[in-house]
Parts: sequence; structure tokens; C-alpha cells
Amino acid sequence: MSNRYDSRTTIFSPEGRLYQVEYAMEAISHAGTALGILAKDGIVLAAEKKVSSKLLEQETSAEKMYVLSKNIICVVAGIDSDASTLVETARKMALQHFATYDEEIPVEVLVKRICNVMQGYTQFGGLRPYGVSFIFAGWDSSQGFQLYQSNPSGNYTGWLATSVGANTTSAQTLLKQEYKPDSTLEEACDQAMLIMSKTMDSSALTSTKLEFATIKASSDGAEYNVYKPKDIEPLIEKVKSTTQ
Amino acid sequence: MDTVIDQLPKSVDAAAALPACVNGLPNFEFPSIDTPSAFLRAFTDDASNPDVPIKPQHGTTTLAFKFQGGIIVAVDSRASAGSWIASQKVKKVLEINPFMLGTMAGGAADCQFWERWLGSQCRLYELRNKKRISVSAASKILANVTYHYKGSGLSMGTMVCGYSEKNNTLEPEIYYVDSDGSRVAGQLFSVGSGQTFAYGVLDQGYDYNLSVEDALTLGKRAIIAATHRDAYSGNSCNLYHLKPTGWVYHGNYDAAAEIWRLKEAEGSFNDIRTK
Amino acid sequence: MDILLGIRTQNEVLLITSRSLARGISVLKSDDVKVLECNKHTALAFSGEPGDTTNFVEFIRANVRLYGFQNKQELTTHAVASYARKELATSLRSRKPYQVNILVAGHNGTPELHWIDYLGTNVTLPYAAHGYASYYVLSTLDRWWTETLTLEEGLELARKCIDELEKRMPIDFKGCNIHVVDQNGVRLHE
Repeated sequence: MSNRYDSRTTIFSPEGRLYQVEYAMEAISHAGTALGILAKDGIVLAAEKKVSSKLLEQETSAEKMYVLSKNIICVVAGIDSDASTLVETARKMALQHFATYDEEIPVEVLVKRICNVMQGYTQFGGLRPYGVSFIFAGWDSSQGFQLYQSNPSGNYTGWLATSVGANTTSAQTLLKQEYKPDSTLEEACDQAMLIMSKTMDSSALTSTKLEFATIKASSDGAEYNVYKPKDIEPLIEKVKSTTQ
Repeated sequence: MDTVIDQLPKSVDAAAALPACVNGLPNFEFPSIDTPSAFLRAFTDDASNPDVPIKPQHGTTTLAFKFQGGIIVAVDSRASAGSWIASQKVKKVLEINPFMLGTMAGGAADCQFWERWLGSQCRLYELRNKKRISVSAASKILANVTYHYKGSGLSMGTMVCGYSEKNNTLEPEIYYVDSDGSRVAGQLFSVGSGQTFAYGVLDQGYDYNLSVEDALTLGKRAIIAATHRDAYSGNSCNLYHLKPTGWVYHGNYDAAAEIWRLKEAEGSFNDIRTK
Repeated sequence: MDILLGIRTQNEVLLITSRSLARGISVLKSDDVKVLECNKHTALAFSGEPGDTTNFVEFIRANVRLYGFQNKQELTTHAVASYARKELATSLRSRKPYQVNILVAGHNGTPELHWIDYLGTNVTLPYAAHGYASYYVLSTLDRWWTETLTLEEGLELARKCIDELEKRMPIDFKGCNIHVVDQNGVRLHE
């Protein structure tokens, strides 16, 4: 039924749907789970790494966590190569803003501009939408810490805690259970790890299957930290010890 | 017998008569040289080359001022091209529409072309918005054009005068606009080579509460003063009075005749002997 | 010959600008205002080539406001100054550079003054001046300016500068406007 209206991104179906955009979102729902939790003194992002092999070089191949600017990081769910070009665009936007205004780009300004790019690909002929959802975590002087999620339609929303990807339904349920408004970044990290351990498909939680990043307050605003596998280990150990 | 339509010249294409528009501004083909203004100067500046083929009209005295009874606009009527008096009865007040006047100083062609173009823009504004354009907006359109063409050799100093609706009342407004791209609102301006002489009489006789008759007399007197001292201004004075109901033309006055009359009446112009 | 002068006091910035507007040998206007409110807490004072000046500051104001509308947060004074500097620096290498000098005064929690010239130099200063006026008043300001000036003391210092200019400047500049930029925004003093 739908195949008359899904070959081009720009054509509405009689029911008023854009199938290509929906397919893009479908692609994301198969991607590894990613989540973000806003704490009072920072934000934690965690993601499940789907590809994992003994031969994979762990130190150099971070797959889902990206640093966009001094004050903004993000995690990706979806087609990595699509994400890669958008990340490149986002970094240029952030640097352009800094070069022009001598101030880091406010988080929502960057999110909005990236989403405008994504929206364009749902409207102009012959192109396919980006098969990517982002969770953005950032800090700026006027709004403080902020957590946003975007999807291929170009919509974005602000969250206290959110998730995307394969097991997002169960992750959301757990987030609702675990989320505490006043938690510290350290507590949020533990919550994130716990939820990842419960939602990931693989039975054993290992640092090869996880990516982890935080952004927290520092003397000149905010500082990010994208975890190396060896830094993730202690967090896994902590979760294991508490759940057993 | 021909119908009226048939009698219209068929070869004139109204659309082709105006240059193509880019960003709402008419777009001219520039000669393919580095600096259009230097190129233009080579053909128009008779100071450096007396044989130049084009001699734009330059010397002028124009003035406009607000007072309790509206706005007075007065101008001279001489068109000079270097030392040559090209015309003795130039209309230097351009009637943009029944409620707005523009004065002309500098290049006659530039002023005429752009003020007539401004008139068409004002009419388009009326058709689109179902109300008259404000003087502020009209002068801004003109200033945007002069700024756009800054550096390419335009020469104009103009005053856009009229009444604009502000908070449901009509207010008189005068904007000075020139080819630098300046746009300045004010109470009283004089523009042109004779401006200093006009200011000399105008400033001393000016009072906001002047009667209409006295204001007309003052405007005319200031122009006559300038025609007497400025070699590039002269011949006659055109006088206008702007009221909320539109402008009223108050006639053309021969400068020489006025001087003799004033000499008698005021006991002034004692630098010249009685006839 | 236009006078642009900025003085930062403890809680505000004062912008002192001449009121004369001259073309050729005539003064066309003696109540000219050379200050533009850019957004609620930032003002630009400007001088330079006629036409360029108003066009440039109106362009900056339009873009600063657009940024405010698009992003639901206003640019800081620091950002406005950096942006204006960038535009001047880009323009300098274009076919027709803007010949405009500006002072950017603002208040984002603390008062802030930037001196920017047509070459794209941007410096944050406690007090600053453009043009010939700077040759007279900088020494006056060096002598009497302190970090803890109150508004009244700042106005008194501004008066000192204007007095000096009236005494020594060869051309009558028809007095000065004083704009005050503080936490409540931009206002013309008196």
C-alpha cells in the first residue's frame, strides 16, 4: 500500500505521512541503545557499542561519542557515516560561532541549527533524510546544563533523562524509575551504568561494548570527559557489586 | 479613425524602459573598468579637461523648512554646466506625488531619474498597502539606492519633504538624502552651492511660529539672496507650500525683478546702485 | 572631527558624542545623535564616512536582533563587539570597505566598553575615544579616571572632557549628548 508514497522523501502519503522519515526513524530503533541523564552538576551520556571484536582497536575507535565544542558533546544512534558528516557540520558551526562572537555557541543554538539541516533533507527532492538521532549534552552560561534529543524529521526536545536506539522502551521505563531530580553527576553515572546493564542485549557487561562520556562544571564553564575503556571498568565493577 | 489605444506609440515597451531589478533596486550595467567613478570623471570633469563630452548640471540653491503652517520649499532655476548656463527655467522641485516633494541639487539627471523612480516606488507602496507611504520610508528607499551606488559617481543632494501619518495625525517631515548615502531628518535644510547664502538669510529670519505668508516670503527671500551671490544659482525662484492636504505651488519669481523690488522695499542690496 | 568618547564607571558606561552634523562647510544639524541602541543592554556610538556609518550600525543592529529572535537569547555586549569587529575586518579586504569607527558600550552584570576602529581592532578599555578628540581627552582621563567612579563622578569627568574640547577643538561641535548604559538599558542623560 505504502510503496506509492515512500520512494521520495518529499511526498506526503494520503494519510499525511512522510514514509522516508519514518523509515529513517525505524533504522535508528535498531541501533545500539544510547542514553543521557541530566544531573545537577553535569550530564552523563552512555551508549552500547554494537560492533565488537577482539581485533578492534579500542583506544582509537570511539564510535558514538563525539565532542562538538568545548561545551557540547553528543552521542549518536543510527547510521554512523550519516552522523559523521553532521558532526563535522556541527563542529564547523560551533567554531564559526566562536570565531564571530568570541563566545562558545549556546547549546540550543547549535541543536536548532543542526536540526534545521536535518529538516531540509525531509523536504527537498531527491535526497534521503539523515538516519540519525542525537542526544546532545552541553553547558552554556545563560541556560546551564542542557540535554536534548533530535530525530531525522528535524524535531528536537529537551529532557531530564532520555534514550534512543534498540531497547529504548525498556530504557525509558528504567529511567522513569531511577531518575532523581537532585542526583549528582556521580549518582547519575551509576544510574546510567545500571540501566545499560539491564537493557543491553549481551549478557555480560564489558568495557568493549560500552561508551561513556560526561560533561561537568569547571572553573571556566564546563569540561567534558570521553571515557577510555580502562576508565569504564571501575564503573562496571561498581554496578556488578551493587546488583549482586 | 484610430482608437486612442492605437495612437499610442507601439515601439515603446514600458517594462524595458526601466533597468532590470535586483533585490528591488534597478540594476545598471557598469562599464567593465576598475572604478566607475574615475571613468565617469574622465568624461564629465571639465576642470581637468575642458573638452569633456558630458557636463552635468551642478550649481544650485534649494531650501526647505518646517514651521507652524507646514513646510516651505523654495529653489532657484538655473542649470549650469561649468560656466555655461544650460537652462534658465529648470524645475528643481520634483513633484513625487500630490503630498510629497523632492528637491534637486547636484546632477540633474541623477536627481530626476531617481526621484521619478522614487515616485513610482511610492505609488507601488500605495497600491500594495492601501495607504500613503511615510516620508521617512520614502527617503529611506532613496537613501538605500544612493548607498547602493555609492562610489560609482552619483551626485545628488536632495530633500524629501511631505506629511506622514504618525499616531493618527499628519506630521510634517523633511529628510536630507545625498549621494554619500546619508539620510538625515531635520527642521531646516539648504542644499547646493548657494546654501551658505541661503542659510545666512534663512537662519536670521526663521521662527517656527511664522505666518504662512511670512514663511513664504522668507523662503523666497533666502533663494533670492543666494541667486545674488552664487554665480551658479539664479534666474528665478520656485515656491511651494506643503500642507496636510498636499502641496500648493506659489509661483515662479524672476530673481532680477525681485532684487530690484526688494532693494526698494527693504532698502537692502546696497551693494548695487539704483537703476 | 566627530567626537566619540566612552567612559566606564563602576556601574555604568557613559557615551559622549558630539551633536554637530556637518557636510562640506555647512553644519546641517546641531542636535544629531550618534548612538544607536543595539539590543536592550548594548549601545553603539559611531563616526566615519557619511552613509557608511548609519548603514553599518543598522546592519549590525539588524543581525543582533535577528540572533535574539532566532535563538531566544540576546547576544552579550562582548559578543556584539566581536561580531562588529569581524564584520569590519571582513569588509576591510572587500572592494568597498566600511570606513566606520565605533564604541560598543554595554552592561551584562558588569559595565563593559569596547573600542573598535575601521581596521578591525577591538580592545576592551576602561575609557576610550576616537578621532581628534582623543588627543585632548585621553590625558584628562588618564589623570582623573579611577576604577570606582560613581555615576555622578563619571558625569563630572565627562564634563571635564567636554570643557577641554570646547576650549581647544578648532571647530564648534555644538555640544555633546551623554548616553548612559546601565543595568536598566540605554538612556540619554538629561
